[in-house]
Amino acid sequence: MEEKEKQFVLKRFSEYYRKASIEVPSVEQREFGVGGFEKKIESRHMGFESNAALQNYLIKDTPLYISHSIAYYKFPKATPMENKGWGGGDLIFDLDVHAGLFLSKEEQEKVRSDAMRLVEDFLLSDFGVRRDSLKIVFSGNRGYHVHVRDPAYRMLEGDARREISDYIAGKGLDYRSFFSSPEEDKWKTYGPREGDWGYRGRFYRMAVKLLEENPGAIHRRLLKPEEAALLREGMRTGLWSKTSIKDIVDRMGVVAKMLPVQCIDVDTGVTIDTKRLIRVPNTLHGSTGLIAKELKSLDNFEPYRDAAAFGGEPIKIEALQPIPAQEFLNSTMEKLEKGEKKEVPLSYGMYLLLKGAVTLSS
Amino acid sequence: MEFSFSSKYPFTSEAKQKVEGSSLELNDEIMERAVQRVVAALKGEKEHAYRLHPSDELIELGSYAAARVMLAYLKNRFLTGRFAVAEAKRASSFMRSDSEENIRKLGDELGIKPTEFEGRMVLPVSQYVSFSPRSVDYRLIFRNVAKGFVEVKRPEVIRLMEEAVRIRMEALKPVQSPPKIIQEYSKKLMVLVPKEAVMKMSFKEGDNPPCIEKLLEQARAHQNLNHQARWALAVYLLSKNVSMEKVHSIFSNLPDYDEKKTKYQLEHVVKRGYTMPACATLLSYGICVADCRIGSPLNWKGKVENWKKRKSSSS
Repeated sequence: MEEKEKQFVLKRFSEYYRKASIEVPSVEQREFGVGGFEKKIESRHMGFESNAALQNYLIKDTPLYISHSIAYYKFPKATPMENKGWGGGDLIFDLDVHAGLFLSKEEQEKVRSDAMRLVEDFLLSDFGVRRDSLKIVFSGNRGYHVHVRDPAYRMLEGDARREISDYIAGKGLDYRSFFSSPEEDKWKTYGPREGDWGYRGRFYRMAVKLLEENPGAIHRRLLKPEEAALLREGMRTGLWSKTSIKDIVDRMGVVAKMLPVQCIDVDTGVTIDTKRLIRVPNTLHGSTGLIAKELKSLDNFEPYRDAAAFGGEPIKIEALQPIPAQEFLNSTMEKLEKGEKKEVPLSYGMYLLLKGAVTLSS
Repeated sequence: MEFSFSSKYPFTSEAKQKVEGSSLELNDEIMERAVQRVVAALKGEKEHAYRLHPSDELIELGSYAAARVMLAYLKNRFLTGRFAVAEAKRASSFMRSDSEENIRKLGDELGIKPTEFEGRMVLPVSQYVSFSPRSVDYRLIFRNVAKGFVEVKRPEVIRLMEEAVRIRMEALKPVQSPPKIIQEYSKKLMVLVPKEAVMKMSFKEGDNPPCIEKLLEQARAHQNLNHQARWALAVYLLSKNVSMEKVHSIFSNLPDYDEKKTKYQLEHVVKRGYTMPACATLLSYGICVADCRIGSPLNWKGKVENWKKRKSSSS
């Protein structure tokens, strides 16, 4: 990117920060890191006394990217890291899709529904996180960040956080580990039962459903109602060996195949890193010019419409590569050939410029 | 006469207050016992030779405290690790038959507080994942998890408490210039440390990818490795045709080393013919530390040779 384009971008960013409202909870205990056109984090170990000081910095020394520590520190600016005085940190989940120049409708929908399931099925339901301690933030690029500020999870070390992230991602989920036979009763097989929670409960409910709707898919013999009833009765109490089908655990592989569908591919590396820096909510993402927007609800959120920061004022651009037609700001942007010049709305032009797909044209 | 709560659990604040409130002074008797305590830990003795009569409570508590100060002064990770494991096992052997009231009291102190949810005994998820041993049986993914709770059974709570004691034992406040008697006995203690406790592994640096180097370094520093890390390291070394004896000697550096168990586990790896997990898997275990793009740690040699070739052809 040329110097005048960099100046153009930063000037517009600064104007955004004049009007934006940036509120980082416990701002004085956070470490900050900023980045520019070379790297997303060029310097870190910064700190701000207040949100007003932070906002002032964003207006005057406008960085292209800004992140804050998920951790709370006694001395956020101290170096090396050991001297900061770690006092716990938010639990963070990062959801992402790999995409080309734009997220397709399907990709948008996939990552949005994953984020919803992460919140509803895992954080609220399994982990008992209070809704008011949850923040859902559009990452500003291709996914979502979920910040959990529940004090119950604040002091967890990296290894403990990994257990939670592995649980959500279903890493190492082998359904056979749900089943066991006691030493003294080798011929008995115990497994998930009525009222179980977590994946065990999910597995149980899926098995019951399959047994009721399509028992033949498990074993031919279960087409006989009395055989199915016998297994059903055993399952209720967790005694799976009640059926005469010897390899019932193997047979349940058909249910297990459906289990991973319920997992969510969260980025483990982000969740386990207790010293991680994460994009400051409601600041701009330097690779897109979109707002890393804090959301009240994921319902109907569309990034290219709802996270645009600069509106529709026209700017002239020249395409450096072919650009497909794209929905942006509630209208369809026409496709561009390489070398084609065109006036486009500022938000869209900024997106393409920061993606390196266009230059400013006179 | 029963052992007091403090004698059984000398790491608790109640025990600490007892020592501080007494006129106990370090003497040869206490120091001898402290040395025995560490040596017994080192040998992995199940029954402690230093077990006293319950009436000798203060000597018991004093010897524990003195052992901790010696370890802090010696800054020897291997000793500290072995001591932590032994003390944790000692405490859990008491816990198994202790009263509900004492278990509750100890749990409060260690931050492990079982409660009831929907008629089942549960622990808050945060407590569970902080202290669950890194073994498959305890993986959160296989447990009953709901509304922030994990279902647990009493023996499991005790196993978690044992882990909490071990973690607590590993944290030592640095001691710069301890009393002379501590320095003297620390010297004596080091003489008693068996020589084979000293590192016996050498690899040329650069022979292995960064993740494996890191694990070897941790083993060298007598840090504990979790289950997946041990497994990855064992499979890697055995795939590289490192001898069973040598792999065994590397694992003997770990603080909870048990000769029989290690032998069994290594033989198990060979017998089952486990293959090296891919880099992606290691990444998910949190073992990966660099972006080498080699797919499997076993491809490291090839990568290094490629680099060398490219370097020599470009210069």
